[in-house]
Amino acid sequence: MICPNCGHSNIEGADTCEECQQSLVELSRPRAVTSVDRTLHREKLAALENSDPITVTPDATVGECLKLLVEKSIGVVLVVQGDQLVGIFSERDALMRLNVAANDLYDRPISEFMTPNPETLTVEAKLAYALHKMDLGGYRHIPTVDEEGHFQGIVSVRDVLRRITEDLVVTGNA
Amino acid sequence: MDIELNLTTETVEQTGLKDPLIVAPDVSIRDVFELLKTKKAGGLLVCEGDTLTGIFTERDALRLMAKQADLDRPISEVMTKSPATLAAGSSVAEAIKMMSGGGYRTLPIIDEAGKPLGVMSVKSLIHYIVQHFPQSVYNLSPKPIPAMEQREGA
Repeated sequence: MICPNCGHSNIEGADTCEECQQSLVELSRPRAVTSVDRTLHREKLAALENSDPITVTPDATVGECLKLLVEKSIGVVLVVQGDQLVGIFSERDALMRLNVAANDLYDRPISEFMTPNPETLTVEAKLAYALHKMDLGGYRHIPTVDEEGHFQGIVSVRDVLRRITEDLVVTGNA
Repeated sequence: MDIELNLTTETVEQTGLKDPLIVAPDVSIRDVFELLKTKKAGGLLVCEGDTLTGIFTERDALRLMAKQADLDRPISEVMTKSPATLAAGSSVAEAIKMMSGGGYRTLPIIDEAGKPLGVMSVKSLIHYIVQHFPQSVYNLSPKPIPAMEQREGA
């Protein structure tokens, strides 16, 4: 890393310049190169949130949740107790956990089949974090919380994809 | 790497297609459910011989579960017939357009004869996008908000 102040060549990742003690922290920050990069770094999750996520209480039945998913055309219901998020139940969970036994489990509480304590992000986090978590964990939805951990909303892969492609001005002739 | 250029020049095959799960039209819904579970898959293609006739996804499974449908009927009765497909050699941009426009998460890629070559999923698309912005995505600090809440010593 070349010190912008005195031109001394420092080892990669140094915090301060060996020669003049100037801070080099700014040089190691990831920098935006394209408009998509800029969006990823600047846009907060709060900006693309679905304002009306569907929530249920932990004692709602499996049948109720399945019907909600279908009627509201959504991929996940959030299980909320008070203003605390306790779990998440997605259409994928329905297929993987209920499967052919769905009819027999119809009246059981959703708390037995939800994913407890799902990964969350704060509403202040940038888009890049959501993208990273979705890629790593294979999630399609990430619930958002405020600084105190109170449940706020949800970000879906579709929201993220839409926001990114807005920047890309996709020019395919499909 | 210029992603805008890549999106229009790279073909869907280059994003790494998954081998499709394929069943015959007379397989029962129950068997399809179990197959999806063991393969941890979100959908499968229904083929008559080599020709694609339908698609069955998580969403369709959900609808059946919600109305407590009879699972011993053949899959051909509940699959989505003549699904949206992409021809082999289409660009990634076309795939994105189709996915976000039609709300699809799984696009079968077919050759001229209608034989499915693979499936492009929204998951592989996200991975493809992330790979184009390694600087932005892989260099993230572990906490979304690294700043200290209070001034030190204050």
